[in-house]
Amino acid sequence: MTLSGRAAIAGIGATEFSKESGRSELRLAAEACLAAIRDAGLAPADVDGLVTFTADVNSEIAVQRELGIPALRFFSRVDYGGGAACGTVAHAAMAVATGQADVVVCYRAFNERSGHRFGQASPSSRADSTGLEFSWHLPYGFATPAAWVAMHARRYMHEYGATSEDFGRVAVAMRRHAATNPAAWFHGRPITLEEHQASRWIVDPLHLLDCCQESDGGVAVVVTSAERARDLPHPPAVIQAAAQGTGPDQMMMFGYYSGDLAALPAMGNVGDTLWRQSGLTAADVQTAILYDHFTPFVLVQLEELGFCGRGEARDFIKDGGIELDGHLPVNPHGGQLGEAYIHGMNGITEGVRQIRGTAANQVADVRNVLVTAGTGVPTSGLVLSTG
Amino acid sequence: MHHELTALAERLTALGEQPAAPCPDPVNAAMIRNWTQALGDTGTWDDVAPPAMIQVWSMPGLGVPKQGSIADEPLRLLNASGYTGVVATNCEQTYDRYVKIGERLTSTMRFGGVAGPKKTAMGEGYFVTWYQSWYDENDERVAEMLFRVLKFQPRKRSAAAPKKSGKYPMQPAIGRDTQFYWDGVNAGELRIQRCADCGTLRHPPGPMCPSCHSVNRDFIVASGRGVVHSYVVHHHPPVPGRTPPYVVAVVELAEGVRVVGNVNGCPPDDVGIGMPVRLVFERMDDELVLPQWTPADAPDPVVEEPPEPEGRPIPLTPTFVIASALATRDFTPVHHDTALARAQGSKDIFLNILTTMGLVQRHALETVPGATLAGIAVRLGVPAYAGDTLTLTGERVDEHTLTVRGAVSLGDHVTATVRFKEDA
Repeated sequence: MTLSGRAAIAGIGATEFSKESGRSELRLAAEACLAAIRDAGLAPADVDGLVTFTADVNSEIAVQRELGIPALRFFSRVDYGGGAACGTVAHAAMAVATGQADVVVCYRAFNERSGHRFGQASPSSRADSTGLEFSWHLPYGFATPAAWVAMHARRYMHEYGATSEDFGRVAVAMRRHAATNPAAWFHGRPITLEEHQASRWIVDPLHLLDCCQESDGGVAVVVTSAERARDLPHPPAVIQAAAQGTGPDQMMMFGYYSGDLAALPAMGNVGDTLWRQSGLTAADVQTAILYDHFTPFVLVQLEELGFCGRGEARDFIKDGGIELDGHLPVNPHGGQLGEAYIHGMNGITEGVRQIRGTAANQVADVRNVLVTAGTGVPTSGLVLSTG
Repeated sequence: MHHELTALAERLTALGEQPAAPCPDPVNAAMIRNWTQALGDTGTWDDVAPPAMIQVWSMPGLGVPKQGSIADEPLRLLNASGYTGVVATNCEQTYDRYVKIGERLTSTMRFGGVAGPKKTAMGEGYFVTWYQSWYDENDERVAEMLFRVLKFQPRKRSAAAPKKSGKYPMQPAIGRDTQFYWDGVNAGELRIQRCADCGTLRHPPGPMCPSCHSVNRDFIVASGRGVVHSYVVHHHPPVPGRTPPYVVAVVELAEGVRVVGNVNGCPPDDVGIGMPVRLVFERMDDELVLPQWTPADAPDPVVEEPPEPEGRPIPLTPTFVIASALATRDFTPVHHDTALARAQGSKDIFLNILTTMGLVQRHALETVPGATLAGIAVRLGVPAYAGDTLTLTGERVDEHTLTVRGAVSLGDHVTATVRFKEDA
């Protein structure tokens, strides 16, 4: 038995993406979920499962109450920050495929810009396993996601001769895509490589424009059986593969203690599962939604997922290779660098739009879309297909 | 406010030199004697005035309405915008020549500019700079002074920067499985967990050996040698207890495990992958010590134990503080009225800046007798309160330069660079 093809995303919903939503995170969650349910042509009473991030502050029962869902039969949470994004859909698909639930909504909502910002440094002194992981790093002022990714990026540059300009090309591509996506925060505001290079240091080797924005907003998707989805208003985005994964000696953003800093073994693991489950390869994908909280990990993901060999991503992305007219359009919506940082969930909705053929920057003849979740942490991924 | 301030600064700068308060008295022996006695200056001055007295000649004196300074307007604007704190940061005097008894001086002021907003230890603030120049009867300049203050928004108590003496904010959590490591750090050791059964080394440590699943653990003490495997230079955002830019590195130890730490003791630009480093320990607060890294060829950091000051300590009796303030014609009450100084939040009356300049001069000439001063540039630190002791020490940088440090119990009251003329 395999999960492949059993479930589909039938509805997507989102709030506007902003820097200050002006309303509670629960309200954002409820608005995004309701939009997704209506997009699926369903009503809250049809929903019997909810999945979100461990990091989300809106409990499943709180969302249930706001939406007036009579009862839940399935609820779960996925941990490890943005690495959870595609994992929520994986959990939902498993629940649907096994009959634990019929209609599962996956959601993520936060005021990540106007409220608690993940990019800021703050002390932590929990002595649980996660707190102890952080304790090897925070006392050294090594306290922000940008810094943790920069440590990998420096080694990647050292091993493969990649440069800051190579990272910058990712930012330029994402902002180019966002410029023509009306939902994107950076709609109409493309950047040049020179502007990337001139932007201030955040954590050398990362410039400001290597780091994604911070956003307020909510996103939700509705997962149901592929069979039922075919009877609903939109063409289904069939979940051809869904996977979670860690790597050896996995830590929370701190994969420095063994192995290769220039790699992302957790993503390699997820990729292996996705290709095996779907029976597809990187060559079968028309567009990829790669988690882009920081530019260097877009390069490493291209390598881990088999789009190019180790150290070859800088050649793969040059001359607009990942732009709309390139050999692999990546993040046609502008990604988190350009559209919004909703912890990877807005990448899943973009994947669905590409399958439906309704994206702002629609790629031609899309049959399969790869979507990934947060990198540097335990992560997850999806292959969405037409049909 | 920023734009208004910038525009104001531009307008004032464009004014150039403006006449300043008149010098009420000619350079005279009585005021010089008063000054040398108050400051304990034993030099012979014959027919010239001590150069550090230059500002004294243009002080208005008691009961004379203070004439406006060219910096008044920007300072008022900053006050009105919440930048209510003020602290003098720099006073730099340049002496074109010594002035003689009998000379009548005039002075001018010109605006130097504003810089900010800047994040400072006091809070966010703007530096405001202006100049005063003194001229002789032939309109030849005899001296110039740069004066700079920081106008700052006093921090709210809750947001106060952690004091160096306080608890370091980025504390590690310590658990049963990591206690041995921190015990080691306190004993001056970098400990690496070793499986007591199969011998596998492991960092970060944990309760079960991932190789043989033994829960029996001991440790070895690292040699303290390693190489930089990767590193970053942190610039932004601010991290509590830290001053950017600073380096964080993954260091691969000679024993084979990797650790994370700061590389201190060299500029960030000098750090590179493959650089050999060695272990040092950094004390972060009364309780926390962190294992850190420094270039393998760097000398040991000079630690603790401030050298016995060779300088003569100056007891800052109330008489000394008051007499010197009055001898420099500075009648601001915080220099002579204890009750008023305390009411304004000071611990006590404290030394005025004109006296500090004079004491730096005194120390310079005691260190290099017979020299002629070309200028004194001071950075002002903590206040020198009555009841404290000011100890001045000097270090000869080269033939024409002496650095002078004046310490009180709270820390450095003044650090100064004294320049001598060619004949020194």
